[in-house]
Amino acid sequence: MPSDYPTPTAESRSPDSSAAQATTADDVSALIGRVAMQDRVAFANLYTATAPKLLGVVLRILKERSWADDVIQEAYLKVWQRAGQFDSGKASPITWLVSIARNKAIDELRKHPAGRTSTDDAMDERVARQPTAQDQMEDQQEVSKLNRCIDELAKERQDIVRLAYLGGWSREELASQYEQPVNTMKTWLRRALQDIKGCLES
Amino acid sequence: MSEHDNEDMQIAEFVLGTLPANERKALNARRQLDPALDARIQQWEERLIAMTGEVAPVKPSPELFARIESILDQQAAQPIQSGSTTSVTRLRRQVNRWRWSTALSSAAALVLVAVLALKPESTPESFVAVFQHDDQQPAFLLTVDLQNRQLNIRPVTAEQQPGKSYQLWIKAEELGPNPRSVGVLGDQMQLDKGALKQYDPALLREATFGISVEPPGGSPTGQPTGPAIHGYLYPAGDGESRGI
Repeated sequence: MPSDYPTPTAESRSPDSSAAQATTADDVSALIGRVAMQDRVAFANLYTATAPKLLGVVLRILKERSWADDVIQEAYLKVWQRAGQFDSGKASPITWLVSIARNKAIDELRKHPAGRTSTDDAMDERVARQPTAQDQMEDQQEVSKLNRCIDELAKERQDIVRLAYLGGWSREELASQYEQPVNTMKTWLRRALQDIKGCLES
Repeated sequence: MSEHDNEDMQIAEFVLGTLPANERKALNARRQLDPALDARIQQWEERLIAMTGEVAPVKPSPELFARIESILDQQAAQPIQSGSTTSVTRLRRQVNRWRWSTALSSAAALVLVAVLALKPESTPESFVAVFQHDDQQPAFLLTVDLQNRQLNIRPVTAEQQPGKSYQLWIKAEELGPNPRSVGVLGDQMQLDKGALKQYDPALLREATFGISVEPPGGSPTGQPTGPAIHGYLYPAGDGESRGI
């Protein structure tokens, strides 16, 4: 995480300087543990360390900054409330945090499908991977393993998986983009997911 | 494809984001009550998370964290207030209690509905709960008007089953560890509107409700015995995402 990220608050609870380095999974886990005890400084540090990642993911789905901001707000309020339920034995802290935000973003999008400009960005969504943008919080091995598994899929299947996961595309949107019946798209998606699972387990 | 595989793919599509909205909502609700399901969802989240490695971080505006902080400040100042977030917390506590107690009494296949106060500051003191059969469609809708202590239950997709009765249960800390029967639904799936009269509004506000399928006339044991109908409360009206 770049060290020039601004501290998120100007108040007395401004994060301590160590927050900028708090990017390993263990550090984030420890912060969540302190948040579970209602530690507001830890909460600010957790936010500083992780909000850019979450906002990047949410913004890519919702496209609109203010909408994404609202979802991030809801997500961190939920993190504050549910930190005690985080179990580092079951989930990595980044997965837990990103999933809370991503889940909310998708919920929002399904609730207000017209809330963003639908498929105008069809092609630019279908971007190839940008390894340079790899977030250092991710375990590189995991990243490359999943990507390798996705790369083993047929090109169209790779695209639908990425469009769905990263862009929040629905079955219907994918079906219309690829000129397939919705049920066919469902089958494509499920086969792709099945293949990914098999590949990850191999 | 086996039932398990099918459910696995449903979970996978949930995590991917392509599960249709109604199934998605139902799965979101079920995971609150079903730790095993929640764990399977987390496994899929873990499988796919690495895709976010290609998403460039975006620096949030400084105002955003200030906004979040001020909401937390307000909550800290007014812990009793039934604002949305407080209610969500309470809902979570209720769900946790249920997880705990159902883990202890595995035989009681009652699945409960958590009840969430709906903007009580601006609307009449009423609550809405949705009971779900499976992960598809709401089975029952329960509304409780706190002021008059009146309930109204109506089937949405639930149908009368031959030789079976539906029974509504209430559970609250003050009532002890076991659910109490509110009543057995009649032939028209109706229930006496005054069935909650004996409970005071404060208790009702904290209570959880559930529906079980029982032999005709209701549970022979005084406790839920039959298959449960999964339940979860959805806030009515506002568009805010209130899932927990």
